[in-house]
Amino acid sequence: MNRTLNVIRMQLVNRQTYLWVPVIVLAGSLVITLAIYGIISSAGVQTAMYGGGAQAPLWYFAVVGAQALSFTFPFSQAMSVTRREFFFGTMLTAMMTSALLAIVFVIGGLLEEATGGWWMNGYFFYLPWIWDAGPAAAGVFFFALALLFFIVGFWGATIFKRWGTAVLVSTILAIALVLVGLLWLVGRMNAWAAVFEWIGAQGALGLSLWGLLLVAVLAGTSLLTLRRTVP
Amino acid sequence: MTSQTTDNAVIEVTNLTKRYRDTLAVDEVSFTIERDTIYGLLGRNGAGKTTIMSILTAQNFATSGQVRVFGEDPYENAHVLGRMCFVRESQKYPDDATPRHALRMASLFFPHWDQQLADRLIGDFQLPMKKTIKKLSRGQLSAVGVIIGLASRAEVTFFDEPYLGLDAVARQIFYDRLLQDYAEHPRTIILSSHLIDEVANLLERVIVIDRGRILMDESTDAVRDRAVNIVGDSAAVDAFVDGREVIHRESLGRVSSVTVLGALTAAERASLADAGLDVAPVSLQQLIVRTTQHAASDNDEGALR
Repeated sequence: MNRTLNVIRMQLVNRQTYLWVPVIVLAGSLVITLAIYGIISSAGVQTAMYGGGAQAPLWYFAVVGAQALSFTFPFSQAMSVTRREFFFGTMLTAMMTSALLAIVFVIGGLLEEATGGWWMNGYFFYLPWIWDAGPAAAGVFFFALALLFFIVGFWGATIFKRWGTAVLVSTILAIALVLVGLLWLVGRMNAWAAVFEWIGAQGALGLSLWGLLLVAVLAGTSLLTLRRTVP
Repeated sequence: MTSQTTDNAVIEVTNLTKRYRDTLAVDEVSFTIERDTIYGLLGRNGAGKTTIMSILTAQNFATSGQVRVFGEDPYENAHVLGRMCFVRESQKYPDDATPRHALRMASLFFPHWDQQLADRLIGDFQLPMKKTIKKLSRGQLSAVGVIIGLASRAEVTFFDEPYLGLDAVARQIFYDRLLQDYAEHPRTIILSSHLIDEVANLLERVIVIDRGRILMDESTDAVRDRAVNIVGDSAAVDAFVDGREVIHRESLGRVSSVTVLGALTAAERASLADAGLDVAPVSLQQLIVRTTQHAASDNDEGALR
């Protein structure tokens, strides 16, 4: 257990990766978004403004997930860390930073709620459909989403490391084909209305829980793959 | 090939085989590594040295055969792995990590880590601590691995071609520090190398590997006694070496230099002197090169790879 905790410390030795770069990405996209809102607002637009800039650190999480495997995993092997210790330590690190990110998003959302969108009806963190069930549910949503981005990067890098480009691309294509098949099936059954109704009924919290289930599946397959991966 | 089991063994390898899709990297290898000894794992590039070390540290997987480290299977075995250190020649480091980061990470995992020793080596190698590792020169990169290997003071430490890119001064620093620290803190060291003569003085035992097979597994002294060079008039040399196992022959005009296997008796030395022939020692490197070539020419596969 102690060595698993040391893996967390190892991941955090270079504060740049898990702390400073996400902070810069987030702060940067916030500043740019607010500047644009300012321009629009000063032009006299009164309607509420929503932007997708808050996604930026999430995409970075996918990159961190991939790098955690392709660079830090081989190093952890040289540090005599077992694959299991590396996996759980890295997942705990990802959960910690995802939780931190979720807290920042919730605080940002509360701030926007209190100030009426930075006094100009512009929202960066606060998206109504996510916040419908309250700040706690929004927090769970952001946590699940950040973790999902991380694990997707990690999962892809694990497949690549173990079997190479051809298998990774084939796997992604196979998954895409299955998804397209599902879309076709839904259309065939004229069930789109029912599907959207279901999604709506899940709400932000329900979707988060489904997201966490997907995280668990990807994490499980990553661990099984990693067990025989050579650095 | 020895595979005797002693209480002193820290690593026991039995019939280890590693096959990649179309190549046999390690072929039915068996050997034992004893406690508190410096080993040389010698052989050409691609002979299988790194593969063997990777399997011993459970970074890679055997196709067949058995590896026991401290009596246990090292795979996913934190108790065993924590007592070993293997920084490979082409080691990857976390992206954007600096040597400072790498050493701090290493200090987390090796229970006997000596920060003072690490600091001293940083000075010795003049390693820039704040540059990212991917921007280091080849020699500085080797220095990071060497410092981790030495300062970890792991019970079994592997050095995989540690001198690549290091200049002569830095290499000597490595050899000196290694011996010095080994004298104070005995442990098992396995040094893989193809620069044999340079490390010959450090080694207590040598394991020579070629094309995935062990050619030699002996104490360094025994290896040195294995062969001699007989130099002198071609006819006289030929007469003397007749019936002996010749592993190398060079001729220039009427003078020949022939390397023969086997130690010489006092009587033989006397008869050599009478015949006007000189006996020259064979360096470890020469001997290993000749033996490797000899084994290759005996092999049906013919030419050296």
